Amino acid sequence: MIIEMSKVRILGPRDRLPDVLRTLQDLSLVHLAAPAAAVGEPLSRVRLAPAQERESRHLRAILGDIDAAVGELRPSGAAPGRVPRAAPADLVRWARLARRVRREAERARLQLAALEEEKALILKYQQFFSAFRSLFEAEARWPNARAYHVLVRGGDAGAIPKLRASLVAAIGQEFEIYTQPLATGEIALLLIVADPAAARVERLLAQAQVQEIPVPAAYGGGALSEAIPKMLARLGDIPGELDRGRRRLRELGQAYGDELLVARAAVYDRLRELDALPLSGVTPHAFVLEGWVPARSRPDLTKRLAAEYGDTIVVSEVSKEEWASQDAPVVLSNPRLFRPFETLTRVFPLPRYGTIDPTPFVAVFFPAFFGLMVGDIGYGVVLVGLGLLLHRLSKPNTLLRNVAEIIGPCALFTIIAGFLFGELFGDAGLRWFGLRPIAFDRHEAMIPFLLLAVALGAVHVLLGLGLGVASLIRRHPRQALGRGVSMIMIVLVILALLATVKVLPRSFFTPAAIGLLVAFPVLIVLEGVVAPIELLSTLGNILSYARIMALGVASVMLAVVANKMVGAIGSVAVGVVFALLFHLVNFAIALFSPTVHALRLHYVEFFGKFYSPGGVRYQPFGRWLPARPRA
Amino acid sequence: MEAVLITVAAALAIAIPALATAWAQSRIGPAVAAALAEKPELTTTAVLMIAIPETMVILGFVVAAAILFR
Repeated sequence: MIIEMSKVRILGPRDRLPDVLRTLQDLSLVHLAAPAAAVGEPLSRVRLAPAQERESRHLRAILGDIDAAVGELRPSGAAPGRVPRAAPADLVRWARLARRVRREAERARLQLAALEEEKALILKYQQFFSAFRSLFEAEARWPNARAYHVLVRGGDAGAIPKLRASLVAAIGQEFEIYTQPLATGEIALLLIVADPAAARVERLLAQAQVQEIPVPAAYGGGALSEAIPKMLARLGDIPGELDRGRRRLRELGQAYGDELLVARAAVYDRLRELDALPLSGVTPHAFVLEGWVPARSRPDLTKRLAAEYGDTIVVSEVSKEEWASQDAPVVLSNPRLFRPFETLTRVFPLPRYGTIDPTPFVAVFFPAFFGLMVGDIGYGVVLVGLGLLLHRLSKPNTLLRNVAEIIGPCALFTIIAGFLFGELFGDAGLRWFGLRPIAFDRHEAMIPFLLLAVALGAVHVLLGLGLGVASLIRRHPRQALGRGVSMIMIVLVILALLATVKVLPRSFFTPAAIGLLVAFPVLIVLEGVVAPIELLSTLGNILSYARIMALGVASVMLAVVANKMVGAIGSVAVGVVFALLFHLVNFAIALFSPTVHALRLHYVEFFGKFYSPGGVRYQPFGRWLPARPRA
Repeated sequence: MEAVLITVAAALAIAIPALATAWAQSRIGPAVAAALAEKPELTTTAVLMIAIPETMVILGFVVAAAILFR
């Protein structure tokens, strides 16, 4: 739910403005907003003095250095809580420190990257170089000759005899060929040619598009026979250099990491203080600050300011007629059990202040829909295990933890639905334990299941329309009335349909039809000519809930097919393995498909009836913290 | 003969929406992949976009079931 906010106005002597701002920053309660322009002629917005502008630019530059240095060093120490305010001397020292540490850390990181790259390159060619190493003795016996180092593809067995024949035809016997097979299947080939014949051989190689292995420029770029020993020696040196580089980074982190974290917090705090100044209004002798606080925290704010400044500071509540609800910031506050479901509602922008937070409804209906679709005691128990595992592996307030906590209610509803439909790994419960459905068997009774799904849809969509009425009634009463008439017409259509199929007595039909005839023109007057189309679309939305039945039946059918495999394949053991594999696939589908469709039913069918996105997040003016706790 | 016609009708009731869904998803899939390459934060919306045309085949399934089990 969206908690109630109060708009407050703080007045005081102009010379106390910096002190009051600092107190407000320490309290971290007020979401500041520029004072309303209509306050009066002498009121003007504070503008930063040139020195403050310079300080702000300087602080942003320091922050850039600190963030870069912290990013490189990744200090392992815990993030500092509230830090003391920075003195000018601290800022100067931190500016120098951050610049120096950033440069050193970046240099060390670049060196490490270059070393890793060099190592990877040498390792890539190591086997190949080692193969050529054994051929170097042959190369040494030909002092006035050119050597060519070539890699011949594996499987091309005829290539070497062909090359030999071509060379004999071109230059006679003035060459030698040595080969060494590699583990990759390729062949390292060393071709030694007398100097006078070198030009003709190079032409021949070029025509045949045979390329020599390039020697990296860093190792002389010349003969491979000279480069290989250097590269192999280098491979021995690199691990030591890598260790030294990493140690240097660790040392920098240990020496300066904690101080940089403190500096970052203090610089952010000072920057926020400067950024808050232009949100203040001043007259020649007084200042005014305006902002929002959670209504329950307003007395606390008044008390704390009174305790610190006595009568010199006045805190008053701005009446609700003076501010528009869409300007108020939004803070969601849901019970512990519902809070993980905020992950699902935050896919959308925040709801506007004064409208409705759908989280509590999602927390009830999402697991219910999921449970009805999966509806199997066995799958539910496996889901409990998965949820517990994720809970164990995750940290508090992370996405993974929220997912684990959403899985819990989903598993519970899945088990409950499993008992209602008498399913334990499909029909295995019936076969082995004589498990009977409490409600109905989804496998057989598709029409009752369809009616249940559509009835749930009707309840969900009508709830959405009801919430739409509640959310609009203050701001747009005419629209709220239109939404209400739509809601009544939907109920009348449902009553008429139920009377037609004799679920309700036939006598219900005529009053429902008359009601529809009366409501129809009222709806057109209130909502315009598109209203009937929207009404039909709403009926379509209700039918869309039939997917609960469709996915549920598909799930149970797959489970039944999996169980049939035990008897269908000759060997029982093989049948059991296939059945388990099929259940695994069904479980994976059961995790994905019902989630997506339950979400879709909420986002499209339900939220469309009342959700009003575009709320401003409540961000109280306060001290900087790396990860803000939940409001 | 009637049983054959009923079966064919049920098959068509699910086959035609299935083809329509496949066609729609074949158009949405590449667009979603391109959008995700630039904005990975749209993953949830993308999954929903792909799921939206499945409504057709689900309703087709419901109609087929209604034909078979009437």
